[in-house]
Amino acid sequence: MIHMTGVSKVYSNGSVALSDIHVDIEKGDFVFVVGPSGAGKSTFIKLIFREELPTHGQLVVNGRNVTNMPPSEVPYLRRGLGIVFQDYRLLPEKTVYENVAFAMRVIEAPRREIQKRVNSVLDLVGLRDKCRSFPNQLSGGEQQRIAIARAIVNSPVVVIADEPTGNLDPETSWEIMKIFERINKAGTTIVMATHDKTIVDTMRKRVIAIERGRIVRDQMKGVYGYED
Amino acid sequence: MKIRTVEYFVREAVVSLRRNGLMSFASVSTVALSLLILGIFLILVLNLNNMASMLESQVQITVYLNDGLSDLEMRETGTRISKMQGVSQVMFISKDEAMERFKDRLGDQQSLLTALGDTNPLPNAFEVKVDRPERVKSTAQAISQLHGVENAKFGQEVIEQLFTLTKMVRIFGLILIVFLALAALFIISNTIRLTVFARRKEIGIMKYVGATDWFIRWPFLIEGMILGFGGALIAVVILGQTYSAITQQIYASMAFLPLIPENPFIHNISLMLVLVGTAIGALGSTISLKRFMKV
Repeated sequence: MIHMTGVSKVYSNGSVALSDIHVDIEKGDFVFVVGPSGAGKSTFIKLIFREELPTHGQLVVNGRNVTNMPPSEVPYLRRGLGIVFQDYRLLPEKTVYENVAFAMRVIEAPRREIQKRVNSVLDLVGLRDKCRSFPNQLSGGEQQRIAIARAIVNSPVVVIADEPTGNLDPETSWEIMKIFERINKAGTTIVMATHDKTIVDTMRKRVIAIERGRIVRDQMKGVYGYED
Repeated sequence: MKIRTVEYFVREAVVSLRRNGLMSFASVSTVALSLLILGIFLILVLNLNNMASMLESQVQITVYLNDGLSDLEMRETGTRISKMQGVSQVMFISKDEAMERFKDRLGDQQSLLTALGDTNPLPNAFEVKVDRPERVKSTAQAISQLHGVENAKFGQEVIEQLFTLTKMVRIFGLILIVFLALAALFIISNTIRLTVFARRKEIGIMKYVGATDWFIRWPFLIEGMILGFGGALIAVVILGQTYSAITQQIYASMAFLPLIPENPFIHNISLMLVLVGTAIGALGSTISLKRFMKV
């Protein structure tokens, strides 16, 4: 699903974010990406949805060669990915329903299908009854659940999450993780950058640890391994 | 592209037009002003051109004859001229008639002529009219080759002066129009920049969920085109009303001025202005999108 071969990323200011990364993530995997701040986790995530291009090496995502992907193909790569951010990134002037439907509307999905899918993902995250609310009327956890609903509404094969529980209290974080687990059980690959030791240590999924731009550990049923 | 998508684009464009009301107003006004001036110059130049060619068609050739020709020779020359292709009228002006006309033209300065005494230096002449303006020059040349003809002149200077005037108006107008078009472009691209800024979050999300660049661009393009179109519409209405009022005035008081009739002249200019306005709007948007959105 995601294959990195000798991938490096050097930013234009000369700082080396990642060097010589070799990783294979298969369909249905649930992967935590951990490591200290500034170790390269975010760059690792950004490479997958081609927010950044690798400086060296080969990167294939969902059967598409991202290494030299021209900008015109990026939208089609991203339609196969769902992206969740720490700060939710919902549109404040749109309702919950519209926020989720927006992701389908901009790829010109048929209206009938939009209605069906949006209701079904809102059910999945347990917020169908809030569909007419606006984001600022919801708690942080609820907002993140909407963001997840939006990420999965186009049925992506991979969901990428960058610190999705970073702004949430432990209890709410668990609700979010349960949703991710449910999505993963349905066959969707999950790649999640996180600082949350408790979650990583409790869930015992595959853990990729990055330090100073290199993978220092790639462990099935791994643990967080850092003291915060 | 689906109809629903087009609806969505137009709705989004209208929403941001309203959101940036003041800038939208400024853009429309600038476009209207620019196109108004473009239209005025266009109307001016085309009318001047029209006048010049009308004058040209009315121009007559004056054929001066050599002194000392017999009546028969003069009559013969006259016949030959009238048989030339395209010549519609030939009128004989004798030396004496020419002198009378000259005196009339001098008016109260006739005393100047006393120096001449009884001699009349003016030649016998023909006034020749042709049926098509483009024949004037060639006919004049042909006539000047005839036996007994000293030379054949037509009002070339007047026409050339008129054409020079047209040219100057055209150059001046062009410079002004270029500046105004740039101003219009600048202000439209600024308006669109505000819109892009107001929606940068939305644009970001659109990109993350896989909207194509064109899908993101269209609402902004449409917004720019509406601004340009709106401005053009105002300019066209003002121009149309004014021209119609002016032509009516002039037909009533100075019927000899050959103004181009309102239809289809103003229709064609209006169509052109609307197209130019819309194009300026689209271009202004494109500049902003390239610089500020990087999609």
